[in-house]
Amino acid sequence: MLAAAKSFAGRWLFQLRDSEPGEVVLTRRRVFILPTRPGMAFCGLLLLMLIGAINYNLGLGFALTFFTGSCAIADMVMTARNLAQLRLAPGRSMPVFAGENAQFELRLRNPTTRDRFAIWLGFQRDGEPLLATDVAAGSDSAVQLSTPAKERGWCAAPRVRLATRFPLGLFGAWSYWQPDLKVLVYPYPEQNAPPLPTTGAASEEGHGQVGLDNFAGIRSYQPGDPMRHLAWRQIARHDPAHGGQLVTKHFEGGATAELTLDFDALPASIGLELRLSRMTAWVLAAEQRGLPYAFRIGDQRYPAALGEAHQAACLRALALYGKEAA
Amino acid sequence: MNTAAIGERLAKRLTRDKADTLLLLAGALLVIAPHFAHLPVWTSATAIVTLLWRAAITWRGTRMPPVSLLLPVALMAMGGVYLSFGTILGRDPGVAMLALLLAFKLLEMHARRDLYVVCFLSFFLMLTNFFYSQSILTALGMVVTIIVLLTAQITFQYTGTVPPLKARLRTAAKLFFIASPLAAVLFIAFPRIQGPLWGLPGDARGGRTGISETMSPGSMSSLAQSGAVAFRVRFEDAVPPQQLLYWRGIVLSQYDGRTWTRIGRTVFTRGERAPKLTMQLRGQPVRHQVTMEPSGRRYLFTLELGAPDFYIPGHRVISTDELESQTIRPIEDRIRYDATAYPDYRVQAALELEEQNKWLQLPRGANPRALALGGALRDAANGDGARVAQAVLQMFREKGFTYTLEPPLLERNAVDGFLFDTRQGFCEHFAGAFVVLMRAAGIPARVVTGYQGGEMNPVDGFLTVRQSDAHAWGEIWLPNRGWVRVDPTAAVSPERIRSSLSRALPDTAPFGLQGLLDLQNDRDSWLSRLRYNIHALNNAWNQWVLDYNAERQRNFLQELSATLSSWRTVAALLSLAALAWLFRLLRARVRRDPVEAAYQSLRLQLQKLGMQLPPDAGPHTLAQRLDGVELPEEKKQAMKALLELYGALKYRAMDEDERTRSAKRLAELLTLAR
Repeated sequence: MLAAAKSFAGRWLFQLRDSEPGEVVLTRRRVFILPTRPGMAFCGLLLLMLIGAINYNLGLGFALTFFTGSCAIADMVMTARNLAQLRLAPGRSMPVFAGENAQFELRLRNPTTRDRFAIWLGFQRDGEPLLATDVAAGSDSAVQLSTPAKERGWCAAPRVRLATRFPLGLFGAWSYWQPDLKVLVYPYPEQNAPPLPTTGAASEEGHGQVGLDNFAGIRSYQPGDPMRHLAWRQIARHDPAHGGQLVTKHFEGGATAELTLDFDALPASIGLELRLSRMTAWVLAAEQRGLPYAFRIGDQRYPAALGEAHQAACLRALALYGKEAA
Repeated sequence: MNTAAIGERLAKRLTRDKADTLLLLAGALLVIAPHFAHLPVWTSATAIVTLLWRAAITWRGTRMPPVSLLLPVALMAMGGVYLSFGTILGRDPGVAMLALLLAFKLLEMHARRDLYVVCFLSFFLMLTNFFYSQSILTALGMVVTIIVLLTAQITFQYTGTVPPLKARLRTAAKLFFIASPLAAVLFIAFPRIQGPLWGLPGDARGGRTGISETMSPGSMSSLAQSGAVAFRVRFEDAVPPQQLLYWRGIVLSQYDGRTWTRIGRTVFTRGERAPKLTMQLRGQPVRHQVTMEPSGRRYLFTLELGAPDFYIPGHRVISTDELESQTIRPIEDRIRYDATAYPDYRVQAALELEEQNKWLQLPRGANPRALALGGALRDAANGDGARVAQAVLQMFREKGFTYTLEPPLLERNAVDGFLFDTRQGFCEHFAGAFVVLMRAAGIPARVVTGYQGGEMNPVDGFLTVRQSDAHAWGEIWLPNRGWVRVDPTAAVSPERIRSSLSRALPDTAPFGLQGLLDLQNDRDSWLSRLRYNIHALNNAWNQWVLDYNAERQRNFLQELSATLSSWRTVAALLSLAALAWLFRLLRARVRRDPVEAAYQSLRLQLQKLGMQLPPDAGPHTLAQRLDGVELPEEKKQAMKALLELYGALKYRAMDEDERTRSAKRLAELLTLAR
């Protein structure tokens, strides 16, 4: 109930919008202003000074009170003007992996002839903004706000709160902006993922296949590793009862092997997200080692290739798999 | 970022904090310094040492003293205030405490919150300075201090680059001047309450000088000459000649052989005049307005013979049988009142014998020679008061009496001593001796004290009456004529009455330079003109800033509304506003880049022709798209040339000369393309 009221108040009073595409002008109506704590204290001080001036009939006391009071009012106007007429635009956004911080670039443009100082930015839900920037007259400024990306898929920028107390700090002006900005979040790449599967990997015979002949060492077993890759000799040395672990032989594939990363070939038993994570890890590994790879997931098929665009397309497919393409 | 860069940033940050704090210290010093004049010496010294200590800490970047050290010091300072003043309550101890508090707070500044505390304390301490001085210079100092404090406050708000001090001072000054019109309107229109809201502490006002209720000729060997202003007068009509400017104040009637005092309180309030006091006022009334400096006493001074005929806010005015005017409360603020004087008057033309006795009283046994002289004079004149007075004045004129501000001291029978031995004195001696002689001759007489003369300032037309213009004269009662003013000093030193005190005395040249004296006395010398201008400025300041009270506010606002309701004023204001608006419009037009304007104009034209113009299409793209548009060939060519030239102007390096030529050509092409 309270939450609903609060949300209604936010929407009605602060004119919160869902999303605002393109450049947004912070019109006067969108800038809100209230005295800060020092501002309230200053108000008390003014009252005290006024009483003193009346009681002792100090002509200059009246003058001082009215001048400082008017300075506070001028400060209010200047604080509001520090935000008003500021133009906001979403900047570029780079995809990130889940678990990383999604970076949102915001561009602030100041078309007026006065410099703007000390504009604080942050996401509304994070409370008081922590990042400050200046925007000189007639110029631009770009800031990066980040928020943790927990889930793969599209991560939309949360509502941005802009605030300023410049010049005197007696008033705080603020405004909200919902930038039309989202960051693609790739699935989290599996740590210690099994080696890249090659075409031979599906064969029953196992050993001796092209690309699997370079034994590169052993690593700990991960669900989904083929049984025939288990390093039995090493496993036998350690009694599982005494802390022994299953280990898998790790092969470095030959350069000639044709690498196909097929999502559907992964056992469904290990779960969707883990499969996506593994595919992600594999895409990264293949890119890193320079192995051209074909890619298949659902209806999407990409012929074997290499390079940033290919990688981006594959990762994008993984990120959005099963989600509404936005 | 590597460590070196972080270190560099940190160093930069530190120097910035240093500069910011020093600025704040400068602001605090500006606030505290004016108080040094009236704070106890040790307080000023402590404040200075504390500020220096804080500056050293800032300069060297050392740590601030811990609270365990500051607290005892602060408590000791409080004890010191108690020892100095005998109390910690009241105005002066309060100011001393505030000054110390501000100084100590600077040593205990850790968070941003403390910065505001320092700034706000400074503002309040600035206000307390006005207890002691409200001169124009103080006001200028106030403006400077406000701007420095605002600069300090602004400085702490920057988060990124901090502009140089000059730019920040400019920002603060801009803020201040944006605020000024509103401040002025508030000053004029904010309802003024006639103070005080509660009882003022006893020491709220400093001691004032003024005319005293007693007069003891001969007990002082020298008259303290004070140039302090007693009151200022503005005449509604013609200014009476100098020798008629008698400012009546206190009437002294009781004499004990040494000291003149006022008679017992025969006070009545306005409207219930005692029936015995009959007045006939004739001739042209002299209307004048007196602005009186605070005297700490209750007497009002008006031109003889008149009484304040106006309501004085915050005061009740009463009059006495002796034609004195006084307020019930001592005058602690500058007050202003109107008065109407009649130079031609007849007061108490008929005085009953019983009443006359009051003015004939003389101490028994004192001044036997004067009493004898008085009796002899009466006999010689057959009891005609006017002739007795003439005889006394003649004696003063002819028997070697001299006017001096440094007369010898007199023994017990002061009047005898003065009349027959020393024969040197100033107005008190002459007036006192005259009245004694008159009473000895059986003529009712009394001493009137007040001021005589004044200095007319040709700049603003205000007459300034100073404490040094204080004067005493006599008043005798004659049958059928009532009370008549007789000024025995005028008989001895007519100069004193005709011009002013400084003329009546032999001149002593300052620094022994005759030239300086001439400069000082010449009403037309540049020095005098400068002095008059400064006085006029000070007077205007007093009238409009310091004494802007409820009454003056009401009058001013009434006048303003009367002015505003005339259609001429409204029309003038409206046309001024229109002019300002036009000026703004013109300036905005000039500020627009003509090259950009030409391009925008062309774009607008193309849009009207139905061309699609995406925002990202540059001049080159537009030129290409022109091919598909139905247009006369020469227009098209002009447009293309314009677009090409625009691109060149915008993106190619050009020297100033070429740029001007191209811009000109661009304008030509635009007319061709239309």
